Amino acid sequence: MSSHEHGLPPKSSISRWFLTTNHKDVGILYIVTALFFLVFGGVLALLFRIELWEPGAQVLSELSYNQSVSAHGLLMVFWFISPFAFGFANYVVPLQMGAEDLAFPRLNALSYWLYLFSGLLFGVSFFQGSTFAGGWTMYAPLNVPAYIPDGALGATTAVLALVMFVASVTVSSVNFLTTMYRMRAEGLRMRDLPIFSVSILLTVWMMLFAFAALLAALMILSADHIIGTKYFVYQITQSGAVTRTVGNEAASLLWAHLFWFFGHPEVYIVFFPALGVMAETFQTFAGRRLVGRKWFILSMVLVALQSFMVWMHHMFLTNINLTIKTVFMATTIGISLPFDLMMFSLIYTLIKGKVRFKTPFLFTLGSVILFIVGGITGVFLGAVVLDYQFRGTYWVVAHFHYVMVGGATALFGGLYYWYPKMTGKMYDEFLGKVNFAMYFVGFNLLYFPMFVAWETPRRVFEYEAGLTVWHQIATIGGLLLGASFLVMFYNLFVSLWRGADAGDTPWEYATSAEWAVSSPPPMDNFPGLPSYRDGSLSFLSESAVAARLRGDGTASTDGGDPTADGGVATGTALDTATETHLETEDVEHADHASIWPFAVGLGAFLTMLGLSGVQQGTIVGTEYAALLGVGGVVTFGSLVAMTREPFHAPEAALAERFPYADVEKLKLGMWVFLASDVVLFGAFIGSHAFIRVAHGWREWHNLIPAEHVTMPGLINTYLLLTSSFLVVLAMVAAKKGSRRGTVLSLVGTLALGIGFLVNKALEWQHLFHVHSEAFPQGWDLSTNVASSTFYLTTGLHGAHVAVGLVICAYMTIRAWNGAYQGDPDAIEYFGLYWHFVDIVWLFLFPLFYIL
Amino acid sequence: MTRTKLYVGIYVVLFAFATVQALVEFAGFLESAYWEAFAAIMVLSAIKAVLVAAYYQHLRWEPRSVSYLVAGGLVAATALTGAAAFSIL
Repeated sequence: MSSHEHGLPPKSSISRWFLTTNHKDVGILYIVTALFFLVFGGVLALLFRIELWEPGAQVLSELSYNQSVSAHGLLMVFWFISPFAFGFANYVVPLQMGAEDLAFPRLNALSYWLYLFSGLLFGVSFFQGSTFAGGWTMYAPLNVPAYIPDGALGATTAVLALVMFVASVTVSSVNFLTTMYRMRAEGLRMRDLPIFSVSILLTVWMMLFAFAALLAALMILSADHIIGTKYFVYQITQSGAVTRTVGNEAASLLWAHLFWFFGHPEVYIVFFPALGVMAETFQTFAGRRLVGRKWFILSMVLVALQSFMVWMHHMFLTNINLTIKTVFMATTIGISLPFDLMMFSLIYTLIKGKVRFKTPFLFTLGSVILFIVGGITGVFLGAVVLDYQFRGTYWVVAHFHYVMVGGATALFGGLYYWYPKMTGKMYDEFLGKVNFAMYFVGFNLLYFPMFVAWETPRRVFEYEAGLTVWHQIATIGGLLLGASFLVMFYNLFVSLWRGADAGDTPWEYATSAEWAVSSPPPMDNFPGLPSYRDGSLSFLSESAVAARLRGDGTASTDGGDPTADGGVATGTALDTATETHLETEDVEHADHASIWPFAVGLGAFLTMLGLSGVQQGTIVGTEYAALLGVGGVVTFGSLVAMTREPFHAPEAALAERFPYADVEKLKLGMWVFLASDVVLFGAFIGSHAFIRVAHGWREWHNLIPAEHVTMPGLINTYLLLTSSFLVVLAMVAAKKGSRRGTVLSLVGTLALGIGFLVNKALEWQHLFHVHSEAFPQGWDLSTNVASSTFYLTTGLHGAHVAVGLVICAYMTIRAWNGAYQGDPDAIEYFGLYWHFVDIVWLFLFPLFYIL
Repeated sequence: MTRTKLYVGIYVVLFAFATVQALVEFAGFLESAYWEAFAAIMVLSAIKAVLVAAYYQHLRWEPRSVSYLVAGGLVAATALTGAAAFSIL
C-alpha cells in the first residue's frame, strides 16, 4: 500500500475501486461506467435500426421493439450522457479550481454507487417479463399498470431505477455546488473559473431544481404502481353498493407538465458540459482566449434561466390554452438567441487563432457543426403551427439526435483531450483521426436521412415503403457509427500500455490548472496550497500559508505557470476556513477510503428490487419481501456505519468562498439540499393544485368524505410547531452548555414528532374505514384523485418527519453522552431540516384540511 | 436571554395564526366568502412560513445569498404550479 495513496490500495487492486472516495478515481469510475451504458443503449439502437431495414416487425417482436426504443432513450439520456460528462466534472473541476477533492468525498462516492446500481436495476427490469416500453418520455396513462401489457413488474423496476438515479443526481448537485462555492483557490473569483468549470456550475444549478421536479413525477408514478394511487389514471372506478366512475381529467397533462418542467432543462443539463468542452478545446487548439468570454458566460446564464420557461413547447398538441402556447412559443424562440452568440464566439475564436487539428479538436469542431444543424431544425419545432405537423415524426427524432448526440460528440473530444491527464499516456493520433472520420460520416449517414424521411411516425416500426431507402442508409450509418467506437476503445485501451508518456501537458496553450500538475495528478492534486492571489497560479508552502494567515502578504511561493482561464486574478476578499487548520497539516490526515458508500448503494439496489414486487399494495412473491427486508437492513445499517465512521475531509485554510464565506460547508450543503426539497414538495403541492383546478376547485369537496375534518390537522400543526420551538431551545441550551436542557428539548421534539405520526395514523385508519353513502368502501389511496393526493402528499411529509425522528433519536443519545455542549452546529443543521418540514406542513394544513 | 424571548414570541404568534386559520373555517367564512377566506388563510400560512424561516432557521442573520438560494427553489416551484394551472384555465 503506497504511503502516497492515503490508506487506499493501489489502482491495480480491485478493492481500491470499491473503497475510493477520491474525486479522480470516482471520475474514472463514472467515465468507464457511462461508456458501458453507451454500449448497452447503442446495441439496443442497432437492434431496432436493423428492424427498420424494412417496414414491419420481422426481427423483433412488437413489444421487444417498443422495449428497445424506450430503453435506448432512457439509457442514453440518463445513464450515458450526463454521467459521462460528470466523469470529467469529477476529475477536472476540483483540479481547475484548486481544490484537493469535493466538499463531501463520501457523498461523491455514494452518488457514483447509486448511479451504477440504478443502471444495474434498470438492466434487471428486462428479466422481469419486460421492461418499460412506453417511450422514454413515459407519457401517462401508458405509464401505469392498467395500460402495460404482460404485467408491470419490469416497468415498476425501471421507474424505481430512475428514482434511484435521481437520488444520485441530487446528492451530486449538493456536493458540486457546495464545493464550487466553498473551495476555490485563493484569488480565484467566480468569474475567473475556467470555462469548463463554469459550464458544470450552471449545469449543476439546473440539475438541482429540474431533477427535483422529475423526482416528484417519478415518486408519484411509483406510488401509482406500488400502493395504488390514481394520479395518472383517467377513469377511476369505485366499486361498492353503487359502482361509479370518477374522471381524472388531468392525468395525462399532469405528467407532461412535471416531466417537461424537468425535461427541457435536461436538454441543457446534457448540453452545457459539452459546450464547456467545446470552449475549452477551442481555446487550446486555436491558441487563443475565447473571444467574448464574458458574453459567452452571460449567454450560458441566460439559457440556464430560460430553460425553466420553455417546457410547454413540448405540449403544443395537447389541449393547453392558446395563450400559454403563444407565450411559450416566444420564450422558445428567445432561447435560441444566446446560443447564437455562443456559436459566433466559438467560430470567431477559431478565426482569430491558429488552429491545430488534433483529435479532440476535430470532435469538438464536429460537435459545433452538428449542433448548428440540430439548433436550426429545432427552431421549426418551437413554432406552434409547424409543430402541429412535425410532432411525433422523425423530424423530431433527427433534430434531438443532432443536439444530444451532437453534444456527446464534444464529450468524446473531451475524452481524448483529458485522456493524457488521466492516464499519463498519449493515445494514437492516427487512430483518433480514423475514429473521428468514421464517427462523423456514420453520424450524418444515420441521422440526416431521418430529416428526409421525416414523415415516418416516431417509435413505430411501420413506415411508407417509399421511405425504405432512407431508413436503409440510416441503418448503415448506425453500424458505421457503432464501429467507430470499436476504434476508439481499441485506441484508448492499447495506449494505456503502448502510448508515449504525456508529461504534465501535451497541449501547448492549455492554460487551466489541471495541466500544471503531473499526469495523472498525485492524490493530493497539488504540491502546495494553490493560490492565484499574485495573478497566476502558485503553490503555497506550509510556511507561506502560515504567513498568509498571520497577515503577512510577502510569503514565498513555489512554481506553477498557468493562469486562471478568466485572466489575471486580482485581490478580493480573502476568507479563512472556520477551523484554521493548515492545509498542509491536514493533508496527512485527509481520508480517501470508505466502503460504506458502496454498501449503501447495494442496500438501495436490493430495497428497490424488493419494492418492485409490490404491485397495487400486494406483494407478488416472498423473494421480493426478502429482498425488501434485507435491502432495508443493509441500507440502514450502512448509513449508520457511515455516520459513525471517522472521516476527515478538511477545508483549505485559504480559499475564495464568495458569496458563502460565512456559511460553513455542512450548513451550505444542507441549505442547497433544502432548496431542491422546496421544488420536490412544490411539485407535489402543484400536482394537487393542478388536479383540483382540472376537476373544479370547489367541486373538489364532493370527492372527500364528511369525516375528513379540520381538527386532526390542527392538532398536528400544534404538535409540529411546538416541536420546532423545542429544537430551537435545544440549540440555545447546547450553546449555553446545558446538557440537561439539550437532552430534554430533544426528547420533547422526539415525543411530539412521534405524537404527530400517531395522530396521523389514527386519522388515516379512521378515513380508510368510513362508511357513508358516497364512500361505502372507505376512503383509501385508490378511492379517487382527492384521496390519492391527500395520502401521498401528506405521506411524503410524514416520511420526512420519520427521517427527522431517526436523526433526532440519534442526536438525543449523543446529547445524553455529553455531545454538542458549547458547539450546537449539528443541532442547528438538524433544525434547518426540521423547521423546513414544519414550513411544508404550514401549507399542507390549510390545503388539505381547511380549503 | 433576549434571543430566547424572541423565539418564544414567534412561537406564540405561530400558534395563534394556526388557530385563526381553523377559526376562519369554524366561523363559516368558507361558505359565505370562499375566496376572501382562501386568501386570508394562505396569507397567514405565508407569514408563518416566513417567520419560521427568518428566525428559527436564522435566515435573517445569514448572508442574503442563502435566502436567494431558497428563493430560487420557491420561484421554480411557483412557476411550475402557476403556469401549469393557468394552462388549463
